[in-house]
Amino acid sequence: MNTLFLRLTIALYSIGLLHSFLTIVTRKKTLFRVALAGIGLGFISHALSIIFAWIELDHPPITDNHGALSFFAFVIVLAFLVSYARYRLESLSVFVFPLVFILTLAANLISSPNAARHELLRSLWFYIHIPTTFLGYAAFFVAFSAGIMYLIQERELKRKRPQAFYYRLPSLEICDDLGYRSLSVGFPLLTVGIVAGALWASRSLTQPWGGDPKIIWSLITWLVYAVLIHYRLSAGLRGRRAAMMSILGFVIVLLTFLGTRHQGSAHSFIQQ
Amino acid sequence: MNLVLVGLSHKTAPVHIRERLHFPEPQLPQALELLRTRYEVRESMILSTCNRVEVLAQTAESPDGVHQLRDFICSFHKVPYDSLRDFLYDFTQLDAVRHVFRVAASLDSMVLGEPQILGQVKTAFTTAQNAGAIGATLSQLMNRAFFVAKRVRSETTIASSAVSISYAAVELAKKIFNDLKGKTVMILGAGKMSELAAKHLSGAGVSKVLVWNRTYQRAVELAELFKGEAIQTEDLFRHIERADIIISSTGSPAFILNKADGERMIHLRKNRPVFIIDIAVPRDVDPEINKVNNVFLYDIDDLRNVIDANLRQRQREAQSAEEIVRQEVDLFLEYARARDATPAIVMLREHWEAVRKEELARSRKRLGSLTSEQEAVIESLTQSLVNKMLHQPISELKRLSRQTLNPDEVAIIKRIFGLKD
Repeated sequence: MNTLFLRLTIALYSIGLLHSFLTIVTRKKTLFRVALAGIGLGFISHALSIIFAWIELDHPPITDNHGALSFFAFVIVLAFLVSYARYRLESLSVFVFPLVFILTLAANLISSPNAARHELLRSLWFYIHIPTTFLGYAAFFVAFSAGIMYLIQERELKRKRPQAFYYRLPSLEICDDLGYRSLSVGFPLLTVGIVAGALWASRSLTQPWGGDPKIIWSLITWLVYAVLIHYRLSAGLRGRRAAMMSILGFVIVLLTFLGTRHQGSAHSFIQQ
Repeated sequence: MNLVLVGLSHKTAPVHIRERLHFPEPQLPQALELLRTRYEVRESMILSTCNRVEVLAQTAESPDGVHQLRDFICSFHKVPYDSLRDFLYDFTQLDAVRHVFRVAASLDSMVLGEPQILGQVKTAFTTAQNAGAIGATLSQLMNRAFFVAKRVRSETTIASSAVSISYAAVELAKKIFNDLKGKTVMILGAGKMSELAAKHLSGAGVSKVLVWNRTYQRAVELAELFKGEAIQTEDLFRHIERADIIISSTGSPAFILNKADGERMIHLRKNRPVFIIDIAVPRDVDPEINKVNNVFLYDIDDLRNVIDANLRQRQREAQSAEEIVRQEVDLFLEYARARDATPAIVMLREHWEAVRKEELARSRKRLGSLTSEQEAVIESLTQSLVNKMLHQPISELKRLSRQTLNPDEVAIIKRIFGLKD
């Protein structure tokens, strides 16, 4: 049942992908309502797929690559829907829709090793660690998208020759605000995620885990965002520099997530 | 449906012709009355604005509707037709529908996408309605036209960009600050231009106006106008960082603000952006200031460039709008055909059902007593005869209503079967 719903989800998300593609190519508002409906229905179908996977596995389906990718896509859609409800930004969809489509498709292509469930992963801390970290990453992705929109719109305004983006993108204030709010949601979540991960590791793992590259990179990510938030609050860092730091932060998130998946580290359990 | 539209606009006629054909509002009811009584016109409305004069009518099914409306316009204004020949255009049927949709959606306007025209069309429609000149056809057509205009506004951005200097400034301010509520604008140099720009910004929601001028007294006067605050001549740099938006139009021969001032302002403002509009010639603000992070400087030429870009943007959007009009004309055609065909089909059925019942009742007496089975056989026999006979004409009517272009064919079928409207 879960694969069936996941495939339905992919079909529905593909409408969003088509929308993003057409919007970039034609530089016009195309199919947004249809795409939004597709993403909304896809989100429901995605939720069902995760629930069915949970029932089939008898534990939250986030302990293998298949489940993790699918769940990551799911929280990104969630983050998008929440920020859309608040800001009504259609431009954000151009960033979000392709990514969730690719993540969900990748999840579907990786076969799900249902049986290979590690005893170590049966821990409450682990089940807190994954969703909070992922939700944090999803919020950072929104901040990243807002940062890119800010830089493009700022360039349009500085060059004084309005082109398509000037008309389509939201105001600088909105981009900045969205970026800031996403950070203030994402940062506590990442913090909780890291703490939960550390608690889980200290209780469950016997070998040393402190030198795990993913853990080190996560701490770097955390530091970058901590600095960004600190300067925003204390020195009023905003606008261009804040946007660039949000983008940098997410690039490091990507390195953490994708670049450190080799054997022999604490996080390689997921692969085994 | 037999629609005719005759008129002229800024595209075909110069202003001295347009003003001669203008229908003053108080005369409209009388003009509409004249159309109904003197001409073969069933429904009509007159749109008369400074850029166009158009008469739209649903006429009786005669081929010379265009002549009648021309004659009406000429005789009402007592102008010989020969002097108008080159200026008047006419549209019939589908072309009239398309034209009405385009006008309502502001695709035929002098400034593409300007919003006033829709209100003017609505007023013209209401006036005609109150004069009793509107029936089912025009009512359906105009309501559809309003819907098309709404679709064009919401599905394209044809009307959303500014095409005047003041509005371009407001639009840019909104691209930076999003909402102007709670924002402060500072006017440097109390001239007419800055007063106008400040008025637009206040209208767009700016909360506080600061005024600075070389002579303090003039600053006080202008500040009073906006319930704002006048700044002492020597205090400019003590207050300038309070401004989110600065409009500068002093007569100063040298720059009053340079890059270092910009950097200092942004530092004091904790990076909150500043939008500077320099409409002075010679300029008041060093263009280098635009290089400072979070400072956005636009001079008068920059604003003109934005307007040019906005006009080009409207042109691009007009293509999508024309596509919407195309779809809507097709849809309207389908409705109109269905409207023309459906009553004919119903009438055809009712007519022959009545004939069948009549004939059956007459013959039934001569048949004497019958079993209920025999009754049923006769009933179904007569019914299937009628159905078989009507099958071809009805499916032909339905086919016609979906496809062919010639509305006369429906009329022919109606005539053959003796159906009246």
